[in-house]
Amino acid sequence: MKSEFLEAATQIEIDSVQKWKQNGGKIVGYTCSFMPVEPFHAAGILPVRLRGITAGSMEISDSYYGPFVCSFPKALLQLAGTGHYHFLDGAVISNGCDTLRRLDECWRKMGEDIKGSAPPWFHYFDVPHKPNGHAFDWYKNQVKKLITAIEAQFDVEITASKLKTAIKNQNQVRKLLWELERLRREDPVKISGTEAYAAIIAGTVMPLDRYRDSLSELIEDVRTRKTDIGKNKKRLFIGGSVCDDFELVSLVEQSDAVVVGENVCFGVRNENDRVRETKEPLTAITEKYLSGSVCPRMMGWYKQRAGMIIDKVKQTHADGVILQNIRFCDLHGSENGLLERDLEKSSVPSLRIEREHGPLTETGRLKMRFDAFVEQLVQSVSV
Amino acid sequence: MRPELKEYNLDKLFAGTFMVARNLGSSTPGEIKNVLKYTPYVGGLLEPVLATGKPSITFFDLFYDYYSNIINAEENGKKVVMTTFCFDPSVFYAIDNLVPVTLEIGTALTTMLWKRGSSDFMDYCTEIGFSETGCSSQRGAMGAYLAGLGAKIDLVALNMGGVCDTNANAYNFAAQYLDIPYFGLDYPSELTTEEVREYHHKDYRGLINFLQENTGCKFDINRLREVLEEKKKQDVLMNEIEEMQRLVPNPVPGIYHIMIYAARYIYSGKIKFTKLLGEMVDVVRENAKNGRSGLKNGVEKNRTFLVYIDNYALGTAMFQWFEKKGISHMGNILSRTFSQDAPYTTGVPGTTYNIDTTNLDTMIDSLADINARMPMTRTIRGPYDAPNMWLEDSLSLAKQYSADCCLYNGTPGCRNTWSNVKLLSRDLEAMGYPTHIAYGDSFDPRVETWESTETRLEEFYQIRGLL
Repeated sequence: MKSEFLEAATQIEIDSVQKWKQNGGKIVGYTCSFMPVEPFHAAGILPVRLRGITAGSMEISDSYYGPFVCSFPKALLQLAGTGHYHFLDGAVISNGCDTLRRLDECWRKMGEDIKGSAPPWFHYFDVPHKPNGHAFDWYKNQVKKLITAIEAQFDVEITASKLKTAIKNQNQVRKLLWELERLRREDPVKISGTEAYAAIIAGTVMPLDRYRDSLSELIEDVRTRKTDIGKNKKRLFIGGSVCDDFELVSLVEQSDAVVVGENVCFGVRNENDRVRETKEPLTAITEKYLSGSVCPRMMGWYKQRAGMIIDKVKQTHADGVILQNIRFCDLHGSENGLLERDLEKSSVPSLRIEREHGPLTETGRLKMRFDAFVEQLVQSVSV
Repeated sequence: MRPELKEYNLDKLFAGTFMVARNLGSSTPGEIKNVLKYTPYVGGLLEPVLATGKPSITFFDLFYDYYSNIINAEENGKKVVMTTFCFDPSVFYAIDNLVPVTLEIGTALTTMLWKRGSSDFMDYCTEIGFSETGCSSQRGAMGAYLAGLGAKIDLVALNMGGVCDTNANAYNFAAQYLDIPYFGLDYPSELTTEEVREYHHKDYRGLINFLQENTGCKFDINRLREVLEEKKKQDVLMNEIEEMQRLVPNPVPGIYHIMIYAARYIYSGKIKFTKLLGEMVDVVRENAKNGRSGLKNGVEKNRTFLVYIDNYALGTAMFQWFEKKGISHMGNILSRTFSQDAPYTTGVPGTTYNIDTTNLDTMIDSLADINARMPMTRTIRGPYDAPNMWLEDSLSLAKQYSADCCLYNGTPGCRNTWSNVKLLSRDLEAMGYPTHIAYGDSFDPRVETWESTETRLEEFYQIRGLL
């Protein structure tokens, strides 16, 4: 595994982020895959996806959040409260779910109590819960407002030309990510899910140019590999709640399995998952980010989503699917129930689990479930 | 689910209960005593409601009417739409062949009326794949309908997207599970801008199209006007009750709050609800004229404002405890209308709604505005400390009603409020309002028994010197 991807997947303040900061660059954190990164790149700002990895406890976030909420936003708040996000010049909070959108208030209030724990700038990015019609116009206007806010806060100008360049650069990365996904689907398997997922996560925190070069190198390397990582192993697909911790993928792979794909808020969906470069930039950005209904927060679009996930599972030739949700993530928790039913109808076995976010405090329990699932898959073939 | 429970239809059980209850108006005190003797759990609701006199029979009759319509929907060629409590149902009554069923009302009723509440139905939802951490307010009745123990649901329409994802997610699950059409109104986090208003209006027109497509019925404009004119009268009456609550002692019986909002959530725009409110106003006026408290013992020792919802465990145990302690219930988030003439409105443009029945367009816009300003869709959509949101509303209401303290009841399934209630509580305390956060579940006493909740309330009121 490339060391810089491993570093990016396991640490918050990575070397390239430190260097970016040392060179006077600005950094803004964001919480959700519905937030477009292109305006930040166009402004010369590094957008960093906020992650909860390395949070060892919740004693600070418990002072702001109640007990019955998902541990992912709590982990983000805890890390911010303990100074791990001190390098941020701003944060964009969006309404991925009720708990995540309340990070806005919790973080602001914590900033009043713990000096230096909150960045100097907060922006709320309001994403509609439907992908079409007036919701499209709303989202597009939100992007406009975001651009205006970035320009005002950071004294920069985001021109159409800069935005087009940012779109083009980000698309190059998406193209590479899709190539990585394509390679993962091949048989024999040349790259483990753990290695691939670390590379995918790294793309949300590393500076774009450097990431693009490193990802190209990885892809070239994978193409030349002669190994078969998937030999005598079951091919698994992971779906469900946000997963910013590649250790979960690693744990699955310790159970005689190889993870060949995911649908967990990171990475690319398909070959066409790009911003169209021939269209007016704001319209094109809106089309890319709002379409597809990839998240259960888009209530009423389950059928489209289930169809997309089941197609993806089939394209990866997965033997089974692990449907996981973080406790109190009702959106994925409930949708996993429906997916379990519909995967079964499509003759795809699945395992439904609930977990906590962050350090794998329940490694043993999860490992036992993964082992049992893989064992079932093996037995079902031999029968 | 227990096999014996599968023998009964939920809607028929409720209709049967309220059919008996509405006839108690002509019963002698001895007969009522005997009824209560043999209905120890149902009596938890019947007794305190009956004690309110004339409005009680109208209340029971209204509920009988509502559940009878649901039971007879199929036979009468009507479709059944599953909806949520914060969706104003008056639009459904403007369509000839549509009957709404409101899940949270069914859940609250089972929690109040049945020995084991709706726990079997809640657990059934989990059995079929719904998240066990989802809000109990939907999971209760939803389990019955998904198990086929209630009316056959034809479509789902609601309005909680962007306000309460847990709620909208539950209805989405029901629609997908039953494989029926779904429409959810969506709300941005802001409330008062022209852009938001336009969004609400366009979204609501999408709902109108959805209803017409899935019922095969066009809106009857005259009927819609009648419904909205009736709703105007209801707002005036509710506002009068709210206004009288400012008096000390508060002349409004605490149980009125649940009676009003429960009836409003199922019968907004219907004549029977106007009748109920009229009878309540008469009682409250009389109390006010005589300087009488709405509490049965007449002595008001404390005025408590509930910043979220009530507790529905064990009949009306919380309301009875308030009565016992001399605590005036000053309403909760569900009690408010946010019509433009409500006594607590701020006058800030866009924070309230106005009903304009000039033509179809103005009526549809009015309905959109109403739905965007239902208690939760208005108050907890944006950041809790943003203008006109939860903190400002709670502070202004607590001040206006001279509250001595604030109380939060909710459900562990409420991601929205549990993500900022500690912040709210801290700010309310800083502004001089002792605030208690109850950790139980308003609909599921298995989370915390009423007795435990009661002990914690005792502690709060005693330690803070509130009684």
